Amino acid sequence: MTTKLLMGNEAFAHAALEAGVRVVAGYPGTPSSELVETVAKLHAEGCAQGVHVEWSTNEKAALELLAGASYAGARTLFTCKQVGLNVASDALMSLNYIGTGGGMVLFVADDPGPISSQTEQDTRRFASFAKVPVLDPATPEQGFAMMQAAFELSERYGTPVIVRPTTRVCHASTFIDVADSTVARPVPEEGFQKDPKWVIFPRRAFQAHGEINGRLPKIAHDFATDPLFAQFNPVFEGGSSREMPSVGIVAGGISAAYAREALAMIERKAAEAGLKLPAYRLMQVGTPYPFPVEAAKKFAHGLDAVLVLEELDSVLEDEMLKVAGQFGIDALDEVDLGGDYSGFLTCKVLGRYTGHARDRGENTVDDIALRLVRLFGEVWNGRFESHMTDEAYEAYRAAWEPERGDEADADFERPFDKWNLAQRRIEDFVATFEAAEAPAVFADLQASLPTRPPVLCAGCPHRGSFYAVKRALGKQPAVLCGDIGCYTLGNAQPLDAVDTCLCMGAGITMAQGFAVAEPHKKQVAFVGDSTFFASGLTGVANAVYNGHDITVVVLDNATTAMTGSQPHPGTGVTLMGPRRKPIDIAAVLAALGVECIERANPLDLEECTTAAKRAIDFEGPSALILVSPCIQLVKPEPAICVDAETCTGCKKCITEIGCPAIGFDRAARGPRSKDRGQVFVDASLCNGCGLCTQVCPFGSLVKGVQNA
Amino acid sequence: MLNVMLTGVGGQGTVLAAKVLAQAAQSRGWQVRTAETIGMAQRGGSVISHVRMGNLGEEVHSPLLSLGSADLVIAFEPGEAARVLPYLAPGGVLVCASTAIQPVTAALSTQAYAADDVIAGIRKALDGTGARLVVVDDEALIAQVGNRKALNTVLLGSALATGCLPLSAEDIKAALAACVKPRFIELNLAALDAALGA
Repeated sequence: MTTKLLMGNEAFAHAALEAGVRVVAGYPGTPSSELVETVAKLHAEGCAQGVHVEWSTNEKAALELLAGASYAGARTLFTCKQVGLNVASDALMSLNYIGTGGGMVLFVADDPGPISSQTEQDTRRFASFAKVPVLDPATPEQGFAMMQAAFELSERYGTPVIVRPTTRVCHASTFIDVADSTVARPVPEEGFQKDPKWVIFPRRAFQAHGEINGRLPKIAHDFATDPLFAQFNPVFEGGSSREMPSVGIVAGGISAAYAREALAMIERKAAEAGLKLPAYRLMQVGTPYPFPVEAAKKFAHGLDAVLVLEELDSVLEDEMLKVAGQFGIDALDEVDLGGDYSGFLTCKVLGRYTGHARDRGENTVDDIALRLVRLFGEVWNGRFESHMTDEAYEAYRAAWEPERGDEADADFERPFDKWNLAQRRIEDFVATFEAAEAPAVFADLQASLPTRPPVLCAGCPHRGSFYAVKRALGKQPAVLCGDIGCYTLGNAQPLDAVDTCLCMGAGITMAQGFAVAEPHKKQVAFVGDSTFFASGLTGVANAVYNGHDITVVVLDNATTAMTGSQPHPGTGVTLMGPRRKPIDIAAVLAALGVECIERANPLDLEECTTAAKRAIDFEGPSALILVSPCIQLVKPEPAICVDAETCTGCKKCITEIGCPAIGFDRAARGPRSKDRGQVFVDASLCNGCGLCTQVCPFGSLVKGVQNA
Repeated sequence: MLNVMLTGVGGQGTVLAAKVLAQAAQSRGWQVRTAETIGMAQRGGSVISHVRMGNLGEEVHSPLLSLGSADLVIAFEPGEAARVLPYLAPGGVLVCASTAIQPVTAALSTQAYAADDVIAGIRKALDGTGARLVVVDDEALIAQVGNRKALNTVLLGSALATGCLPLSAEDIKAALAACVKPRFIELNLAALDAALGA
């Protein structure tokens, strides 16, 4: 055992390996990618024996591969980001009907905010749609335990199990004890057992649906009562110990951690203000589907109100409303009025539907603290007396004593009793949270700053690709379809070269729709090399088959750049070690029937523009492959230098290509720039790609020399 | 509880500095949680690393800092320092590199963006808040060390020199040795010494 600082995703990888996972497959996507990378690294170091790990072509390929391995008895792990599950959903929906052999866990990372995603979809919701159990960790260490329990659960019921962390769990780090080496659990000797159950037919599906409906309540029962899973639904109590709690908080995922942090903060501040928090209960629901009804019912019993805190969809709120409805006042009709009411719930469920929680985006400790203080304020308003310490009361009384004789304040201050004091103190306390906004001077300073959105790196070959294609198009009307990857950033000014972005691979097919609807315009679809293999091929086949006049521009930078440089079929590099023959993009396009295939270096502006013109002018589907490695993969060239003698300060290099290494210095002076100022190159950022030297009309940007 | 925020421009190396702090905290037996900006923002956008240490034995729940809670902010770039001021605790310390990185948005517009102006703005904003601003001449220190990649350790050293961290130079050195690739250890130790004026 070694104690290591692990990022959530690294912890999940270690946990799966310690659980004996035999096959790991996925497709990169923030915030999920580091899990597979960690397994590959541990395998390469010889610490993870017997495991097979791969980046599959896309999520669907990965999940189907794992289904086969699972049928044969291997423990398997699938990884993707939330939208990746959309791609694999066809396989998942049926797989749950068929059932699994060896334990199968789907690691699906959600992205509230969203910070790096197209949607704020909620995989807990996907789980209930697919009727697959889901676990939702609040911290990396809890995620570690969940990953291991998920394999147990999968094998206990023959069901796939989803572990769904969110970005703030995936990318949070803490110290965790991990095994120094692991050995994958061998595939059982008997392997795959032929049986009609593996073949899905409507009749089999009907039967399987019954099996699913039969096991879900059992799993919900396990979640509430079996310590292996019930540990993920912990209950904490706090506040005054002299009364029974009247309010509860139900929280999911990182919101549970935020809530505990916020409660500690409120408790501290309340003590400073001489107030005692009302008694409360907090439950983290770490097993949102199938919902642990028994645990929730027990938790809510005796409470007047439950505040639900979660991100993305209102999954827990819906479930709590169901519990409140099923066991609440409405159910009273069912019982004899003289009977026993003790099992019934009378709690209000507060959350998004009642305006008590954020309806989208991320939660924060600050926002949760404010909402909790408001809740406590309501409790105080009803039952304030016990919440003021005796010392605080005496101190307040003493402070106000002299004013007692002041007739002018009579209406307001008299009768000057304990109620008035406590009320004021509580209002003041809640108000400190309501007014906890940053000073205006901070906001003014922020507003005066230019924004700093992400940009294509200095030296990124995509910059040349976009610029050349736009030059080739000239004034011709055109729609430029983008896709998912770093190159989505091509939409920013000044390149302004991405008009659409929908989902993986959509650019190629959307361009065909534009071509049908607007035949007078040129249609260009940009697609990265990894995206091309993941989901571009069917689109190209469709263009050839149906004869759509589009130009597919493949931006081949030899990696999956946005998610941190993962290999793909076009690179031939595999996570297991052996290099395969790279799949040649031009050969694939030719085989699919594309007749015009151009190829150029995007950092050579003339060559690239000419090739782009030929491809765009071609009638029918054409392709332009622009080949230059991602700047993160290559050693930079010496930085570009500005010739102060010739720079006119015209800013063309800035307004045409917008490279982050080129700035403008208004104080710089030169013979030809007069008092306009001149551009400068930030040598710590410039990678010397030389694109700007081809854009400057005055030859003022020159390639640097080695060791300059 | 000791809360540290590190902010800068994607690619400047805040992640490693956060790791080093976490490692040092762990060696003191403190519970520690960190959080990173990973993904699109790393491509030259604003990035933030959070480090939370239970130095008084507190339990750390959230990996993210709340507003007004940072005992120390280490800013790798002045504009990024200005963006996170709401996180600075009353009486907190802001250690800020003096070299600006002009964003493309500023180069494209007519809006001026100069380090001196931004730092003057920060100084004014912090006036009367009890917070302390320490501006680091990172260019001079980097020139002394000879490699801009060591900016994170230079700033860590500068932060340590303010005395606001209950950690010693030895703690940070041991943490560097545990976190940095062997061939870069010497460079980073030199960077730390340069910042500490040792």
